[in-house]
Amino acid sequence: MLSFFRDGFYKDFIVLLTLTILLGTGFSAGIAWALDAYFGDTLSDMIGEYGQYDIILHIQEASKEAAFRELERIRDQHFPGARLSETITIAGQANFFFGLPEELRTKEVMANLAAYFAAVPGLNSHTIISDPSILIRSVHGSVFDELAAQIEQLPGVKFAFADVGNMIVILEDPARSKELEAEIRKLLAEYQLVELRFPMGFEVDTAQVGEEAIRLLEKELPGRKYRNVTAAQYGEDLDAFLKTLVEMRDFLLSYASKVHITADPGVYLIVGEQIAIQAQSIRPLEEGGILTDDNVVIEITAVSGSEAEGMIIRGEIAPAMESLEQTGFRIFSDGQIAKPIGQVVVENERYRLAYAIDESLRLLEELEVLSVQANDAVQNADAVLNTFQEALLQLEVLQVQMRQLNEGITGKGASASSEQLLVTLLVNGLFQSLAQAAVQAGEDSLGSLENLDVAAMRASLDQISQQIANVQSIDVQAIINQIQYVRDTLPMLGDEEIGRSIRLINTYIAGQVIPGERIQIMVEDGQVDEEQVEKLLRSSLDNPYLNIYSTSVGVINPDARSEIFRLLTEVRAIIAGLLAIVFTGAILILDHATVFSTLKYLRRVSRARTSRWQRVLNPVLFLGALLGAVVLAAVYRLSGAQIPYLSHGTIALIGAAVGWLVAKFAERFSPVNVKEFTAGQALGLSNVQIMREIVIPGSRPGLMNLLNRWKQQF
Amino acid sequence: MLELKNIWKTYDTTPALAGVDLKVRQGETVVIMGPSGCGKSTLIRCINRLTEPDMGDILVNGDSVLGLSQAELMAFRRKVGFVFQQFHLIGRLTVLENVMFHLVLAGFDRGWAEAQAAAALAKVGLSHVHERKPDELSGGQQQRVAIARALAAGPELMLWDEPTASLDPILVGEVLEVMEDLVRTTQTTMVIVTHEVSFALRVAHRIVLMDQGQIVEEGPPEVIFKAPVSEIGLKYKKLLVS
Ligand SMILES: Nc1ncnc2c1ncn2[C@@H]1O[C@H](COP(=O)(O)OP(=O)(O)O)[C@@H](O)[C@H]1O
Ligand SMILES: [Mg+2]
Repeated sequence: MLSFFRDGFYKDFIVLLTLTILLGTGFSAGIAWALDAYFGDTLSDMIGEYGQYDIILHIQEASKEAAFRELERIRDQHFPGARLSETITIAGQANFFFGLPEELRTKEVMANLAAYFAAVPGLNSHTIISDPSILIRSVHGSVFDELAAQIEQLPGVKFAFADVGNMIVILEDPARSKELEAEIRKLLAEYQLVELRFPMGFEVDTAQVGEEAIRLLEKELPGRKYRNVTAAQYGEDLDAFLKTLVEMRDFLLSYASKVHITADPGVYLIVGEQIAIQAQSIRPLEEGGILTDDNVVIEITAVSGSEAEGMIIRGEIAPAMESLEQTGFRIFSDGQIAKPIGQVVVENERYRLAYAIDESLRLLEELEVLSVQANDAVQNADAVLNTFQEALLQLEVLQVQMRQLNEGITGKGASASSEQLLVTLLVNGLFQSLAQAAVQAGEDSLGSLENLDVAAMRASLDQISQQIANVQSIDVQAIINQIQYVRDTLPMLGDEEIGRSIRLINTYIAGQVIPGERIQIMVEDGQVDEEQVEKLLRSSLDNPYLNIYSTSVGVINPDARSEIFRLLTEVRAIIAGLLAIVFTGAILILDHATVFSTLKYLRRVSRARTSRWQRVLNPVLFLGALLGAVVLAAVYRLSGAQIPYLSHGTIALIGAAVGWLVAKFAERFSPVNVKEFTAGQALGLSNVQIMREIVIPGSRPGLMNLLNRWKQQF
Repeated sequence: MLELKNIWKTYDTTPALAGVDLKVRQGETVVIMGPSGCGKSTLIRCINRLTEPDMGDILVNGDSVLGLSQAELMAFRRKVGFVFQQFHLIGRLTVLENVMFHLVLAGFDRGWAEAQAAAALAKVGLSHVHERKPDELSGGQQQRVAIARALAAGPELMLWDEPTASLDPILVGEVLEVMEDLVRTTQTTMVIVTHEVSFALRVAHRIVLMDQGQIVEEGPPEVIFKAPVSEIGLKYKKLLVS
């Protein structure tokens, strides 16, 4: 075998090996690079070149044109020289890239960038994509400024700014990004946010309890700085929603039929237990019977001694029944009726409400009639007052005439005629006493009549009339209609539905999933242990339901683009690695298998006695392994390939295995043409000549075949 | 000129040659005959070391062939023409190239080599097929090309390993004709392995009969075929009579 190489073939072989490695490197790196470039281009189309753009504006497709015009206006007015481009539209959302010129990439501009675009038509949201940058998600508001200041102190950081609850840190150099990430992570670790969560329904004065908790922590776990930073900065909507739910539950509860249970002596009821009553069913309940749809099932919600409260969770009592008292029975889960437990009183709140509404309706109707009547009454009173006043006036005139008459009768009698005298006599007889009495008494009565304040009376009458008019101007009919509507809709929600809704809400708000009141305490200069704090505060604040959660004040998010590009580089390295392996296998099969099979043939026909170990461990196989290892390791390294979890040693081993296998099955890939070979030998050709003129030209076209052309004479 | 001394060759366990001694004089034509598998090919291939014997010695003009260096062996082989049973032509080369290429590789001038090749081809009656490829020729023509190739370098010794055994019966004649002509017109020493009894009878100076790796009988053809002493000889006699 060695002689074969010594003959001069080794030169050919070294040239071949070198070219093989170079070609393999070119092949693996080239294809990987091409793929990378292709994907990179596609990606760049989608997310822009690195550092080219600062913000993506996600805009409703329908508003695309208008948005573009507005964006152009904003660019021309505020950011001359900025890049604006539209990219792909996905799922009804158009995306515009906006890139600032370098001199405008300042903290002031960046921090307000989103605000500039707030009025763009159809704007859904935005994503800041300035590069190089680090994104820190959900930075707690209480430490934002402090943290930003610290981060800005780090060398390599240009500035940091807020973007919808996140902090974006703009870097000077992308190469330092990993290092800076680590340093920011260190800064974040200086803070710990401890959250005290109370279950739903607990009304907690967060400020007071917070201070109390901090006092306890300072005493029990000293050495750290504690700060109450409770804020409704996030979860505000959730809180509101939960409060609504609680309100709703309370409303429903007040609206549900009240169930009051008095247990028989010796019967113990527990919360959650279900009790059945006969309700509207014609057949009374009895032990061992089966529940029907007409029966009502009650769930016990509270127990106090032999008294219990409950709510209907199945069935209805008669809607027109104000209350119902029946014997309650325990029931088994399969609907079989068990022993009686005592008296159950159901009070139909909705019936009561409906009754009250009916009464109000009647009252309203009465009110309307009443106001009309009152108006009439006032008007009558006015007329009476007028008549009275007139009567009073005439009475006064009469009084004067009477006095004159009276004086005439008594004073100037001598000079009067006979008729006068007659009349005088008549009148005297009739009126003397009358007039006398009238004058004497009438002086007083009339005087008191005159003392009546008619004007005041008139004023108050006017006022009453005005008020009645007001009442009449109210659209009582509309009110009546509304209330009637309310009453008509009342029975639409049955006890069963109410009961189920309440249960649903209870399970929802009772779960740990949704927090109740929350207190946030910022811990600095050292961490505290969640469980330790929980134990301490549970006992000290006397609340066994208190839960403690410890969170970070911000999470570093890998910047999507860097992540994609990093992934792409990784993929390229993996592809290059796989290609290197494929290439090594292919080139060994195409080219070197010929050499291997020739060497194996020569070995077989040679006179030299092979030692025993050589027969077991064929040196040609070793040569194959060596070659495979060298080619693959070199190509792998030179093409910058990197397959995860595979060291260079492992790669060399894989190469060796491939080479060994190719050498092992060399005859299958490239059988030796024994006839031509022996012809060459018989004609006095050297092995190298046989290789160059007979074996290689007759073998598969490959690199070796190509190189051989330089030396080949025929 | 050629002397084989106690040649042994064993494949796996059974010996293909078991102590063969043979002497061939300058210009002599020796025909080796024997049943298939008796070791004829092995023997003839040992002469120019296409097969390496395990034991014994081969002397050519007094020099040991087995002791030759690689370069000396190549030089020796160039002086020995070898004709294979299955022609062993180089498929991708033309007829002319097949006949001349080893001369060029041996360092001779291309023009001279071409002239030599053309002359050799003329001698075997194939002047008209220089540019053909071997697979475009008949079996007999191919073997004649192979003969021309062996002749081109002007060999001192020619070894023939059943040159007609893989030919159609009607093509055997043209090859035997060429061979007979060569034996008669040249003084080249020849060792011929063949089954052609009548041909052997006509051209052989000496017949060597082999069986199971050993020479069982040798002598002039008229003796061997008239009064054979070996079992094999008797069989050949019978064959000749029929
Ligand atoms: N390369 C080989 N490997 C193993 N056995 C072989 C080989 N060549 C020949 N033999 C065996 O050696 C013996 C002699 O073969 P060979 O010289 O070709 O016989 P012949 O040419 O007389 O027919 C036969 O038994 C044959 O099977
Ligand atoms: Mg044979």
